[in-house]
Amino acid sequence: MSTPRTDVRLDVRLEAAPMQPVGCGTCGATVLARKSSWDQTTLQWTAAALATCAERRTTTAGSERPNRNAFTGCSALTAAIRAAAVAGQLDVQSDEPLPTNPEAHP
Amino acid sequence: MTTHDQIRQIEVDAGPRRFARGWHCLGLARDLTDGKPHQINAFGQKLVVFAGEDGTINVLDAYCRHMGGDLSQGIVKGNEIACPFHDWRWGGDGRCKQIPYARRVPLRARTASWPTLVQDGMLFVWNDPQGNPPPADVTIPRIPQVDDDRWTDWIWYETVIEGANCREIVDNVVDMAHFFYIHYSFPTYFKNVFEGTAAYQYMDGAGRDDVRPATPSRNNPTVLGTTSVAAYHGPSFMIDEVTYHYEDLDVDTILINCHYPIDENSFVLQYGIIVEKKDGISDADAELMAAKTGKFIKYGFEQDVAIWKSKARIDNPLLCEEDGPVYQLRRWYQQFYVDVEDVTPEMTDRFEFEIDTTRPNEAWRAEVEQNLAARRG
Ligand code: FES
Ligand SMILES: [Fe+2]
Repeated sequence: MSTPRTDVRLDVRLEAAPMQPVGCGTCGATVLARKSSWDQTTLQWTAAALATCAERRTTTAGSERPNRNAFTGCSALTAAIRAAAVAGQLDVQSDEPLPTNPEAHP
Repeated sequence: MTTHDQIRQIEVDAGPRRFARGWHCLGLARDLTDGKPHQINAFGQKLVVFAGEDGTINVLDAYCRHMGGDLSQGIVKGNEIACPFHDWRWGGDGRCKQIPYARRVPLRARTASWPTLVQDGMLFVWNDPQGNPPPADVTIPRIPQVDDDRWTDWIWYETVIEGANCREIVDNVVDMAHFFYIHYSFPTYFKNVFEGTAAYQYMDGAGRDDVRPATPSRNNPTVLGTTSVAAYHGPSFMIDEVTYHYEDLDVDTILINCHYPIDENSFVLQYGIIVEKKDGISDADAELMAAKTGKFIKYGFEQDVAIWKSKARIDNPLLCEEDGPVYQLRRWYQQFYVDVEDVTPEMTDRFEFEIDTTRPNEAWRAEVEQNLAARRG
């Protein structure tokens, strides 16, 4: 047997399709993102990006609940990632078409 | 016959030979302040937990530095623990305070004592293989609901898990699919966020018609769904805020899911529950609900344990796109197993992962339908 590894392993799913950079249109932060489908998102922040995020800075911790003071995510960045995917700048691994509202297409 | 190189091999890395740095809950303070010494096997050692006359809970290495007597078999005398072998008296600070038959205590009569924290009814000890004190910013969030009359008291369970490393239970925080297959829930929304020393799980669930009581009653109402915000605060202590949605009301609960390692291959799992007493629900009904929730969770953990007992440790899990971020969770978890100066930004930088539940939900709806059809006969 070979010597056991002690390094931090890479997500197997990233071998074929790695994370890609996406910029936030609102604050300019750059993060790494990946979408396996329209509704799945993987998002890697850096300390610098987090410090730049405007929504993060305006979030206030005022809840009496132990878990409710955490920052749940940036809506501007979510929109930017989605826009990048729609524009084809960020790959979407599944080949399903962008789900649309059927009401809009009679 | 498949050839060797077509088969994916399970890989196992060097298991951690150390125990996580962080606050670990050892149990409820009310169970440890009875004036008796309590033996706790944790972090590969034997510890003694005792509260003296002053009410302070102390945690010491259980082996007496005189001739190795087991202090957890001793007697609490005043604010000290007296060794059963020759009655040496050890204080909560780890120092030998008195030897009744000696003129004076020898030099360096000091044993290992563990930093403690009593908060919201629970006792925590700080484990650090490097021996550093707990940093001021590494804390456990307060749970003010514990002291609130509108919430029930803790219901608390403890169980010993043999034959598994505690990483198995931490993995659960990202394992969406197992909540359907092992815990009879039906996740419809699932997102993880890791940042610093916290790992969050946001999960919404739908009720499952196939595991519901066939005839709901006032004491057994139908759960339409759940909203849960769970988080590990450090390596071993999870708070889970779960709201149960019923037809005519929502009931809030706070669950604790925590553990401490006995050694590399066994751990003590503890879980606690408090339930909000809603207007229109009697105290007795709220207690009943807490007890029932506790039973359900106990059953859930038993299902986990059955899996852990026979599964393999696996460091190269093969994941589909509908699985959660197992690798990134383990990367986060790794920060507690390296020296504090070796913690890298990749272990602590914020990471988010939202699962697309569309496909899982289609499959699970079909399975629930099948189960219902089978039930109807
Ligand atoms: S071994 Fe503890 S007093 Fe002697
Ligand atoms: Fe589980």
